[in-house]
Amino acid sequence: MATGTLSQYIQTVERMFRLGEGNELARLLSLRDAHVVNRNLRSSDIATMVEGNCVAPLDELIICHLLCVKAICEKEFLEAYSHQSQCVVTIVKILQNQKEQNWCLPLMYTVCLDLRLVAQKAETAQSNGKILEKAAESLLSCFRVCAADNRTSDDDTKRLGMLYLVNQLLKVYFRINKLHLCKPLIRAIDSSPLWYQFPLAQQITYRYFVGRKAMFDSDYRMADEYLSFAFQLCHRKSHKNKRLILTYLIPVKMLLGYMPTRALLQKYDLLQFWDLTSVVKNGDLRGIDRIMEMHENFFISAGIYLIVEKLKIIAYRNLFRKVFLAENTHQIEIASFQAALQISGQEDVDSDETLCIVANLIFLGMIKGYMSYQHKKVVVSKQNAFPPLPTL
Amino acid sequence: MYIMSHYNNQNITLDTKYDDNKQCIVGTCSDMCPREEVTLRKKEKLVHVLEVTGSGYKLIKSYSRSAASANMAVPRLLRPYPVLFDTIHYLLIKVSNRSDVPMSVLYDFLNDRLRAVRQDMTIQRLPPEECIVLLEPMIRFYVYFGYRLCEHPLSEYDPVLNKKYLLECLKWYLSSCDLIERSKVGVNDVDEIIDNLSSLNVNRGKDGTLSCDRILVESLYILCNLDDIHPLYRYLNLPKSIKRVSILKLTYNIALAHQHRNYIRMLQLSTRLCPLTFSVLCLYLPSLQKRALQSLSTAFNSKHLTVPVRVVQKWLAFNSEEEVRSACKYYGLEATDGVFFNKSNFKHNENMLPPKKYYKAKILSLKLEDVLSYTI
Repeated sequence: MATGTLSQYIQTVERMFRLGEGNELARLLSLRDAHVVNRNLRSSDIATMVEGNCVAPLDELIICHLLCVKAICEKEFLEAYSHQSQCVVTIVKILQNQKEQNWCLPLMYTVCLDLRLVAQKAETAQSNGKILEKAAESLLSCFRVCAADNRTSDDDTKRLGMLYLVNQLLKVYFRINKLHLCKPLIRAIDSSPLWYQFPLAQQITYRYFVGRKAMFDSDYRMADEYLSFAFQLCHRKSHKNKRLILTYLIPVKMLLGYMPTRALLQKYDLLQFWDLTSVVKNGDLRGIDRIMEMHENFFISAGIYLIVEKLKIIAYRNLFRKVFLAENTHQIEIASFQAALQISGQEDVDSDETLCIVANLIFLGMIKGYMSYQHKKVVVSKQNAFPPLPTL
Repeated sequence: MYIMSHYNNQNITLDTKYDDNKQCIVGTCSDMCPREEVTLRKKEKLVHVLEVTGSGYKLIKSYSRSAASANMAVPRLLRPYPVLFDTIHYLLIKVSNRSDVPMSVLYDFLNDRLRAVRQDMTIQRLPPEECIVLLEPMIRFYVYFGYRLCEHPLSEYDPVLNKKYLLECLKWYLSSCDLIERSKVGVNDVDEIIDNLSSLNVNRGKDGTLSCDRILVESLYILCNLDDIHPLYRYLNLPKSIKRVSILKLTYNIALAHQHRNYIRMLQLSTRLCPLTFSVLCLYLPSLQKRALQSLSTAFNSKHLTVPVRVVQKWLAFNSEEEVRSACKYYGLEATDGVFFNKSNFKHNENMLPPKKYYKAKILSLKLEDVLSYTI
């Protein structure tokens, strides 16, 4: 739809508002729509042109939006940010005034998404996450309005907007590395009875972030559950997103004892994990170090370096299982384990440390058996001495 | 055509904008204590015994909570950077040598005056280059007393508060480092960096002066948060030049061994730590011992086999065999000459034992002055 002159634009916005066309309104107030390049909308005196020509508080919204567009065109991102956050303030007012209806949610989504994007642009070395933090506060003000709307019927409630906002907030908190702030949001969503009414795309984004958080908190079962959900239901054409999910899902699965196939890794250009898979399977400690060094940048930037490091425990288990199979006895000398560790790359290991490593594997249930200090031996169970990892 | 997609190509030139918005107050008080406070405290008889010296009264500005009614941002009540630097120097090198009061009283006094220094720093919004110089000795102070006072009763010394102040200083220091790091992107002139440092009158490592050692602080940050993996991610994202320093790498490996519950390696590596970092690790021993005893209880689970007490002592850095026995008993394990490990007897719900001074900690024989100046 052509937006033409400023007054035509204002009329269109107003009409869409009266008609309750949430999506169309959202498009007209988006920073990512074609109308932003329209020079007619960047007049020098936006405020006086709009004021009085439009119903309140819509006029305020239009003024802030157009000022924001102007600031962006002038590359004044900090200024753009402050206008956009003013837009959010107006949205909050609009939402509060509209009782028992939620057609405005698409508008809120757009304005909130744009706020986050502008905040990201306005961030500099000096501000150090402060602007995004402020943006999160604005998003929370919307969230509160939505969460409080609990008397309206399930179809018209603004609570349906909660998940979108939570996803935006999760993105901000992951970016500024304030994961501890996610907890109350996750609780709010997980306790919400509306879960199945949220759009699938939002559910996937949510599971992706919550899965990643679970991974950082070392809760691998939950991480597996959430990331698997995200991966399986993610649209098949969203190749980039599927790859992102896999970057976290693969190491989590590996920790739980499931190794990826080469075909999968090839399909998603994640062959960094292929080399890793074989060294972990073989209990090749030197090999793990080599691969971690080789792909250090990838593992660190994805934030999975320490998870990969944890795979060493699986490698220890696999190495000791090989010793057990080779010795073919249920009483294995600690010295054999120690020798295996030394051969596979941990040259400086002594017998005390070997005992400690074995002790931990027994404690974690990866080896069934017990140790005798006097005999310097590990006595493993006659049945299922090394239970398959997925059964743990 | 969409504006957002153009964003990535533009160089953002907003660097200073954000900073210019703040108006910094610059202190004008040239003494360690503002005149008004001196008069008031003398009148009200609020002079601390440590402020009475051989050459008369020597008051230091004390900490007061910022209440809503009180205006703290008054230049004549605030001390500028050089005065703050001298204050810290005086407190930590002169006053800390006083032996006429109990150690906990000395600690309380110094802590209070250092908090006042930090308050002045905050109100004046000192630049990060100045902050790190002032914070580093404070960090050493909190680490030192955190260990020296660890066996004192709660009424005299609160370890939780000490840790809180320590972490506050550590985080402040490290985020200041990050700010400096980011602002000097592009400036790789070594001379300039050295000039900056020397203009702040820091003499590295000489006796009787304060020093500023980032590697030490980065190491302490990791060791103070062994149960948290975020400090490790911080380490991984540090510039390569810092990451590669062997002593910091050692700390990282200790934390990694801890993640893998490899206590033997952890304690073997720890013998190479400096007195301050080692003392932080020692505070962690009770937790380490508890977890280790728990996994040993599963691994050596047996009705008649035992592990000799002296071996457990060596493994888990206990002071004596007696200490092993009492710790085992506390967690429900029987111990005579050997420990009877038994997974069903182990009481994992029991609280951790309080920390005890570990005889191998060198810091116990050092004075505060000694740990303020060394570099690692």
